[in-house]
Amino acid sequence: MSVKHGLLALLERGPMYGYQLRAAFDSATGGTWPLNIGQVYTTLSRLERDDLVAALPENDGQRPYEITGHGRDELKKWFATPVQRGDRPRDEVAIKLALAITTPGVDVAKVVMTQRTATMRTLQEYTRLKTQPGDLPWLLVLDAMIFQAEAELRWLDHCEASLLRYEPQALPQTADVEVPR
Amino acid sequence: MTVLELRGVHRVHGTGETAVNALDDVSLTVEPGELVAVMGPSGSGKSTLLNLAGGLDSPTSGQVLVDGTSLQSLSRKQLAAWRRKRIGYVFQNLNLIASLTAAENVALPLDLDGVRGSRKQAEQALSEVDLDGYADRFPDEMSGGQQQRVAIARALIGERRLVLADEPTGALDSRTGETVLRLLRSKVDAGAAAVLVTHDARHAAWADRVVFLRDGVVVDVSERDHPEQLLSTP
Repeated sequence: MSVKHGLLALLERGPMYGYQLRAAFDSATGGTWPLNIGQVYTTLSRLERDDLVAALPENDGQRPYEITGHGRDELKKWFATPVQRGDRPRDEVAIKLALAITTPGVDVAKVVMTQRTATMRTLQEYTRLKTQPGDLPWLLVLDAMIFQAEAELRWLDHCEASLLRYEPQALPQTADVEVPR
Repeated sequence: MTVLELRGVHRVHGTGETAVNALDDVSLTVEPGELVAVMGPSGSGKSTLLNLAGGLDSPTSGQVLVDGTSLQSLSRKQLAAWRRKRIGYVFQNLNLIASLTAAENVALPLDLDGVRGSRKQAEQALSEVDLDGYADRFPDEMSGGQQQRVAIARALIGERRLVLADEPTGALDSRTGETVLRLLRSKVDAGAAAVLVTHDARHAAWADRVVFLRDGVVVDVSERDHPEQLLSTP
C-alpha cells in the first residue's frame, strides 16, 4: 500500500488538512504505520500535481485538500485491485535464515529459536492489545498482524523440523558461477 | 504464594533400553495471576507436564507442589480430595456429564465433598462465564462454546486457584475459541493461576509466559513482561 492511496481514502470522507490527515491515518492503522507530517505534505503535493486532490482556500492558516474526480477513480481502482505478493517488502527473516544455512559457523537452530522467541513475544503483545477496547478497523489491522506473526511462528517450527533432517549439499564455488557480461 | 511448582521433574516412561524421557529435569513455577502456555510438537512432553501438575501422574524424580504441598506426600485418597478442591481441569473433549444439567456439572466437585450451597455457587460460577439462565440446560442443549464455558465454570468453582487446560479450544471455531481464552485470561487476571497446553501460537499468546518443550526439555521461554520469572533448565 502506498501513502498516496491511504490519503485518498481518508479524503473521500471529506476535506482535511495535513495534520488532520496524519491523525486520521494514525487512527485508522492504530499507529502501526507512523507517518511524519513531511511525508503527508510531500504526498499531497504529488497528488495535487497529478490532479488527484485539489487545494482549497486557506482556513485559519491551514490549507485543506479535497479529493477530485480523478482521485475518486484512482481510489476505486485501488480498492478493486488485489495486492500482489510481489508488491510487498521481501521477507527479511526468510532471507536471513536461508543465508544462515549456507554460511559456515552459524548456529541455524539458534537463529530459529531467537527469532521464534522474539516473534512469540510480539504475538503476546498484540494479543494483550486485543484485550483493550478498540474500533473494528483497528481490531482488524491488529488481527492481521496477529495472523502474520502466527504464520511466521508456524513457518519457524517447520524450519526447525526441517533442519533436523537436513543434510547439506556441496555449494557451488564462486568461481563456478557464471558472471553476466 | 506460588500456586504450582515443578522442581527438577523427570518422568521416564518404560524401563531399560525402551525407556523414554518424557520430561527431563523440568523446573517451572506458576504464580497467582499468571497464565503459562506450554507449546511443543507431539511427544514433546506437554501433556505429561500437565498430568504431573494435576496429580494425575507422578514424577520419576523431582517434586510437584501445589500451594506448597508436595503431591507425592499425599495418599491416593488425600490426593483425590486435594485435586477436587484445588485444581480445575479443562479438556478439549469437555468431559461434561450428559445426564447432568449445567449447574449440576459445575457443582459436582463441591457435591462430592458435601459442600452446602453448591447450587448457588454453581449458578454464580455460570453467571461469571456469561451463562445466566443456562443452569438447568443439559449439555446437548448448548452450543460447543457454551459447553466449554460450563467446563471452565466447573474448573474454577470453589477454592480452586489452579486451572490446567489441555487444548481447551480444540473443537471450537476461531471466534468461540477466542471467547474461551478471554475468559481464561480474565479468571487469571482475577487471581487464579493457569497452565494452558496448546499447539496454537495464537492461543498461547494470551499467556504471560510461553514455554517451549522439545523431547521433554524446556528449550525456550518467551516472557511477556515478567523478566524475573523463575523458570529454568539447568
